[in-house]
Amino acid sequence: MAILINKDTRVLVQGITGKSGLLQTTVMQEAGTRIVAGVTPGKGGQVAVGVPVYNFVAEARAEHDFDAVISFVPPLGARDSSIEAIDAGISLLVLTTEGIPRRHVAEIVAYAKSRGTHLVGPGCAGLIAPGICKVGSHPTRFFMPGRVGVVSKSGALSYEIGKTLSDAGIGQSTVAAIGGGPVWGFTQRDAAALFQEDPDTDVIVLLGEIGGNLEETAAAYIKARVTKPVVALIVGRNAPEGKSLGHAGAIVNGDAGTAETKIKALTDAGATVVANPAQLCAEVKKHL
Amino acid sequence: MDLFEFEGKERLREAGIPTPGSAMVYEAGGAAPLPYPFVLKAQALVGGRGKAGGIKVCGDDAEFARNASAILGMDIKGHTVHGLMAEEMAKPEHELYLSVSLNGEGGKPLLIASPMGGMDIEQVARERPDKLLTLTVDPFTGIHAYQYKMLAELLPMAEAEDLIATVDKVYAAMKALNATLIEINPLGVVNGKLVALDAKVALDDDAARLNEGLIAKIKAGREKLRGYSEPERENNTITFVPLCGDVGLISDGAGTGMLALDLVGDAGGTVASFCELGGITTADTMYRAMEKTRAPGNTGQSQLIVLSGGFNRMDDMANGITRYMREHAVTVPVFTRMCGTMEEEGFAIMKAHGLQYHTDLMETVRLCVAAARAPSGDAFGEGR
Repeated sequence: MAILINKDTRVLVQGITGKSGLLQTTVMQEAGTRIVAGVTPGKGGQVAVGVPVYNFVAEARAEHDFDAVISFVPPLGARDSSIEAIDAGISLLVLTTEGIPRRHVAEIVAYAKSRGTHLVGPGCAGLIAPGICKVGSHPTRFFMPGRVGVVSKSGALSYEIGKTLSDAGIGQSTVAAIGGGPVWGFTQRDAAALFQEDPDTDVIVLLGEIGGNLEETAAAYIKARVTKPVVALIVGRNAPEGKSLGHAGAIVNGDAGTAETKIKALTDAGATVVANPAQLCAEVKKHL
Repeated sequence: MDLFEFEGKERLREAGIPTPGSAMVYEAGGAAPLPYPFVLKAQALVGGRGKAGGIKVCGDDAEFARNASAILGMDIKGHTVHGLMAEEMAKPEHELYLSVSLNGEGGKPLLIASPMGGMDIEQVARERPDKLLTLTVDPFTGIHAYQYKMLAELLPMAEAEDLIATVDKVYAAMKALNATLIEINPLGVVNGKLVALDAKVALDDDAARLNEGLIAKIKAGREKLRGYSEPERENNTITFVPLCGDVGLISDGAGTGMLALDLVGDAGGTVASFCELGGITTADTMYRAMEKTRAPGNTGQSQLIVLSGGFNRMDDMANGITRYMREHAVTVPVFTRMCGTMEEEGFAIMKAHGLQYHTDLMETVRLCVAAARAPSGDAFGEGR
């Protein structure tokens, strides 16, 4: 088992005929993902990397059973295509697209929530359950099956930590990369809740960064509800104030969103906060 | 894109919200643009214009000439004043605060209103939270009847109806303009009518393609601002933040970039500049990142490149790095950490150009910081 995805997950790819869609579909198939259909408006009837392509999600729905959608749709198409996917009654939407107009993001997040669809993203690398399923853009080779659940804002940081853990022989149950913000569907708190309930996860790794209050919210939840060990790494300790470092959400304004407040909140919640990947690995090992 | 006050007020007028009569002044020494007395306001995208001496009342020609030449060209917190707005004097009986932003939970519209306008809203939040109404608006249903009632209750005055109409106009303008913020502070009550006495409007950069006509109109208006040049927008997604230190840093992810920033610090080094490639990771983007990081004044004593490819391909990254190294005399050692999608191809390209690469992040950082502290020898770093 894993969180949000499993061996039975059937996936539809939105934007399958684009450059990212084609490449990532192939990589997901190699990672064991069961991709049953793709959608690109106007390309219905084609076959892309062995996957049948439809004009609309509803058309694919009539022919195939799927419960998850991953989207590589360009920014201005993301609102409508996301709502279309959610209307198909899916349980999971991984929205990889960055640069979606802010008001559209608000609508996508609200719509997913109202329909009970888990929205991971926008602007995220998504999910991988190593050896089982991948609904994301992670480099598969960095990960191996195991019992550590990882949640990260940053995709690249999740690859980095996945690689570090795997190199040390420590496998992962699920690695979730939720995006750089400033608005998120699925959060670190949501991941902590699911990992706590997941019988195949023994240790939770939380990878945070400066800006916003997602880590503080997760810390409050961990303090109240999580009994599994949590190891956390917060990046951006040395970041200058008032400058956004690549992620729109990664910005410190005055006292808000600093690494210190996040580290303190997580430490107070009983998590072990580490300073680098090597320490993280050593700390996780103690709990396995 | 942040709008100047005069541009924001033009948007408000288009939305049916009254503002005082005004005219722009682009140079000192001209005829009075309005009947005296009027107020002359520096147009700059920064707060605290009044305290800096950028807002002055003019009662006659001599005062106008003196104030116009004093304020034009003035520097306010690093912002040069390129234009002035002359505006009719408004004598509000009362000042309110009203804003709509996309800062609500889940990025939803957030409506903030207060009867205590004219002061910093964060100060109101601290000192008089009872005088502040914060309403999250559902993006699909809009403002609900009970929310209007809450607004009316906060402002028990004859103008409540006017306020509700104004809130509707501001909310509609936020949608029509694809704005992330419309703030009217103060929203004055002048002769019993609501008038926008200031305007702060920010357009969503991610919605620029939905706003092409509007942006073209704004840019055409800005051509009249003397000596003003639009910040250049490049056709890439690079984030570049100059810092002060000894290691130039490039990463292909924000999270790993911030991790590298911390690791450099922990290893006893400091970062000269933070450069992150963002969503478009072509060979050309990598090349541009090298150009930015190696530009005079940013360089540092060694160069760190941290790559762990997911979406991006290491062959593209290697092509960008090798092209830059071929075309430029790089005098500092370069340490490239490379792994991920198409890494074998990337390694091969680096090798073919005689460039070294590493795979262990912490080791790469350690070597790079050490090289920055004792710069000499191998221009391409040590590696496998």
